[in-house]
Amino acid sequence: MTLVDKLKDCAARSPWLYRINAGSCNGCDVELATTALVPRYDVERLGCVYCGSPRHADIVLISGPLTVHVLAAAQRVYAEVPDPKVTVAVGVCPISGGIFRESYAVCAPIDRYFPVDVNVPGCPPRPQAIIEGVAKAIAIWRSRL
Amino acid sequence: MTNQLPVLVAALLFPGGAFALALGLALKGADRRFAARLQGRVGPPLVQPFLDIVKLGFKRTMAPDVACSTVFFGAPLAGVASMLLAVTLVPIAGVYAANPASGDLLVLLYLLTVPGVALMLAGSASGSPYGAIGFSREMAMMLAYEGPIVLIVVAAALRVGLATGGAPTFSLAEIVGYQQAHGAFLFDPVMWPAVAAFACFYPANLGVIPFDIPEAETEVLEGPLLEYSGRPLALFKVMSALKAVVVLGLGVALFIPLPFGGAAGFVGWLVEMLALALIGVTAVRVGAGRMRIDQAFVFFLKWPLALAILSVVAAACFSAGGAP
Repeated sequence: MTLVDKLKDCAARSPWLYRINAGSCNGCDVELATTALVPRYDVERLGCVYCGSPRHADIVLISGPLTVHVLAAAQRVYAEVPDPKVTVAVGVCPISGGIFRESYAVCAPIDRYFPVDVNVPGCPPRPQAIIEGVAKAIAIWRSRL
Repeated sequence: MTNQLPVLVAALLFPGGAFALALGLALKGADRRFAARLQGRVGPPLVQPFLDIVKLGFKRTMAPDVACSTVFFGAPLAGVASMLLAVTLVPIAGVYAANPASGDLLVLLYLLTVPGVALMLAGSASGSPYGAIGFSREMAMMLAYEGPIVLIVVAAALRVGLATGGAPTFSLAEIVGYQQAHGAFLFDPVMWPAVAAFACFYPANLGVIPFDIPEAETEVLEGPLLEYSGRPLALFKVMSALKAVVVLGLGVALFIPLPFGGAAGFVGWLVEMLALALIGVTAVRVGAGRMRIDQAFVFFLKWPLALAILSVVAAACFSAGGAP
């Protein structure tokens, strides 16, 4: 194992999270806030912190069915995240539209617009599922470093 | 047994550069871990800040189209350089004293303002409206806390200068030496207002809750740092780690230098730094909410400034001619 590989292993232990709410009902966002902040589900153990700026992000968490109105803004914010990055779709809405499916106002499934790496289905997903999704995203992120 | 190291060694190896960076990042890790424990969480590993810096080295560096790239990339370099110099001026009682030729307390005060100015430049050069808000808030905070710290230093200088029968002395070595001989200022009632004012000053200078108004991530999305990514952001993290060592080191030197040197003195100094960080920064930031900029401004012009003025007056009145 070379020094660079070791450094990359170190880097993989510092994934910073950024949330994009693409028209979510806020259910998944409450779970995301709970997952990271409430003592029981402390993702800071994995080195995760929420960052306010997309420029600092490593793992992008997208929730919501991607409404037509938010599409351009979400794509623009996504482009601001520097490479290497991993995308996690949180909740069932990004996968199929969830309860908003077949609406004229949503663009789901979002993998038509974003390269989704991990799907965490659920309405909303359980915190344990979100943590597993983040852990899988970290493994993918390590391979991209 | 105070030895003076060449300035370059002091700036790059010990106590500046590599040592101060490692200490600053370790203090930051201890801060995050202790904060998590206070909140009933497990918290990140102690080495987390080191991992963050390594991670940022692997990220792509982006700059906005509208940014003035010279200033945008120059500001973090200026900030780190100023802190590398400043950390050489901070004495470790009985272990290390600055080379008087490279400056003393007043130079240290000037250097301490450079990181704030670097953040202001960074925010205004990024072209982001959030950066601009961060710029104005950073400036307001600097105006608010610069007055008290200058007066705190004047109080310490007066106390030492008058007690030794001379003019006020702005030599950190003399201030530390006086305290080693006559007891630390922390236990000197004349200096208690200054201690209280410093306890208000250093969380503000280090930019933590309740005074992290310029970089409030929930309001202005980390303000001046909003547009930074990759290595320039890592430089800002390095800058704030070094700044923690400088400010906490200044606090230890001004108020609680240990009377003994050598290995025990060095370990004691590390413990004092850690205690200052955990009590004055971590416990405060976990226990408090963020102030608004106007509240913080008024707070600093009211309490720390009044306390600092009081301590200057007390030092001037009760030290006069009182050479022990």
